[in-house]
Formats: sequence, structure tokens, C-alpha cells
Amino acid sequence: MNKIVIAMVILIAAATVFFLLPDDEKKIRHNLDTLAEHFTTTDTDKSLATLQKVAQAGKMCSDPCAVQFLSFKINRDFDRKELTDHILMMKKMLSTTRFTFHDTSISFPEEHKAEISTTLRLTGKIASDQFTDAYEFDIGTEKIDDKWLFSSFTVVEFMEH
Amino acid sequence: MPEHSEQITWMKLSPSIRNFFLPALNKSLLRRILITGLSCYLIFTYLLIPMRIQGHSMEPTYKNGSFTFCWRPRYLYAEVKRSDIVTVRLSGKNTMLLKRVVGLSGDTIEFKEGILVRNGKEVVEPYVKYRNPWNLKPRTVESGYVYVVGDNRGTSMARHRFGHVNQNRIMGGVIP
Repeated sequence: MNKIVIAMVILIAAATVFFLLPDDEKKIRHNLDTLAEHFTTTDTDKSLATLQKVAQAGKMCSDPCAVQFLSFKINRDFDRKELTDHILMMKKMLSTTRFTFHDTSISFPEEHKAEISTTLRLTGKIASDQFTDAYEFDIGTEKIDDKWLFSSFTVVEFMEH
Repeated sequence: MPEHSEQITWMKLSPSIRNFFLPALNKSLLRRILITGLSCYLIFTYLLIPMRIQGHSMEPTYKNGSFTFCWRPRYLYAEVKRSDIVTVRLSGKNTMLLKRVVGLSGDTIEFKEGILVRNGKEVVEPYVKYRNPWNLKPRTVESGYVYVVGDNRGTSMARHRFGHVNQNRIMGGVIP
């Protein structure tokens, strides 16, 4: 009986360590959630807080960062200033919008590089009308100075007129 | 007093019902709970996925906020047909688009003043109640693809997501 109890305790301790220890995948998932929080806008956001969020979102991306959104004819590298300007513009356009990532899968094709496939879901209001939208993204990340930074964002265009 | 009597009668006369609702906590019960829980998980995760509809693109057939189920095995042994309502996946199955198939591989699709024209013939679509004068030049659906569009054509064409989509993105049909 004692042996069973000891085995159970060891098993639970091992499982706890396994789930609590941060690994690269968990760090990247956490970064994605943080990025979504920085993009999210509410009615009550103060200007200074908005600027801080935008700056923090910019710092989570490499400089330059590649963006491809062919529907909007965007396919080039953005430096950090340009990127934060666009994030700020987007936040002003979508002033009450929640950003969340779903169905995220992460692969590591090379050391210090990861590829993310995810769905960005937007829910919010534009001119008192409720709206929902979803986009599939392929996101590239690179480990630079022991930090995972987003290096590319590609909107997957899977439905074309 | 009568309520109390009824309760006693119910408990005395229907032990099987009482056992059904208040069963004894034993191995058999735990096994039943485990099997039921596991079955529900497998069915509602892999076969019959519950979906809450967010958005207006399929109105009036499916309204914003309503519920439906995605029946995954729908196209396991059957081909996608025109007018079928299908779920189209993005990066996974937690967020999907609900659309109607209007064209199959080889079909030519166009819109003329909001009217769907398939292979040169106007299509009668009783399910479309809102219609804007969409105009789209003819295009042929490639092999392995289907052409999908929402029932709500009351928005501008630029704001409505529709077009040809790879068949491997279709996750199933919908019930009901």
C-alpha cells in the first residue's frame, strides 16, 4: 500500500513539474496571448495606456517584421516605427474590439525558429453594430537574445472570389 | 400535507425511479459515469461538434447567436452537392465558417446584379432574402475546389467572404 502511495506521489509531482516548467512552446503561446491583449481595445482605454500597449506589442516583434496580407495588397517588411504606427491606426479604427487566438499549433523547423498556425478571432462593435471576424494566420517567430520575437505575419487566403 | 403524502408514496412505490435519480455510489455507477463522460467527449469533439453562430453571413437561414451542430462524417462516403451548407475550417475546428456550396469543380460561377449565374443559367435561390446588386465576372471552379457563399447577400461584395475553397477544408455538414 505504501509503495502505491509513494508511486502516486512521484507521478503527481512529475506531472506537476512537467506542466509548470516553462518550455519554448508555452512561452510562444503566452506571447500570443499577450499580443492579443495588447491589440484588444475597449471604450475606457486611456490614450497613454493605448500608446504603452502599442509600444509593448511592437517590442514583441522583430525589427524589421514581414507582413503579408494580399487582400489589402500588403507584402513587405515593416520597421518597428511603421509597425507600431499601423497597430495604433488599427486600434483607433477598431475602438471596441477583442482579439483572441484559437486553434494554435506550433512547430519548430529549426533551432531558435518556430512556425505558428493560428486563427485570429475579432469580436467587437463598429458604429454600434456588433461584428465578428476570423482570419487564419501563419506567424513566424525567432529566438533573439533568449526572447521569442514575432518575425513574420501572413494572412492565409484560403477563400478567393 | 398532501404534498408530503405524495412524496412518501412516490418514494415507496418507485424504488427503481429513486435508484435512477439517486443511485448508490458504487463501482457500477462510477463505470457508467466514466463511459457516459468519455462517450460525450468523443461524440461532441470528433463527430457532432456544437457550434454557436456568430455573424450574419448566413441569415436568414442561420441567425446570429443561434446554435447548430457540425456533423463531421457527412462527406465521409458522400460527395459535396450544390446547395449543401458546409463548415469550412480555418486553422482548426474551434472557429469555422458556415457557407453554402453554389458551385462544384468545373462549374462556371458569376453574379449579375445580385443573381447567381451557374454555367450560364440563372439559379433560383429561395433561401436568399437579402440581395445587393453584386457583379462578378465568370470564373471556373478548379478541380478539388468548391465555390461557397453565404445566404446573406445584403452586404457589399467586399465585406462578404465567399469564393472557391479547397475541399479538404470542408469539415462536414450541419444538423439541423
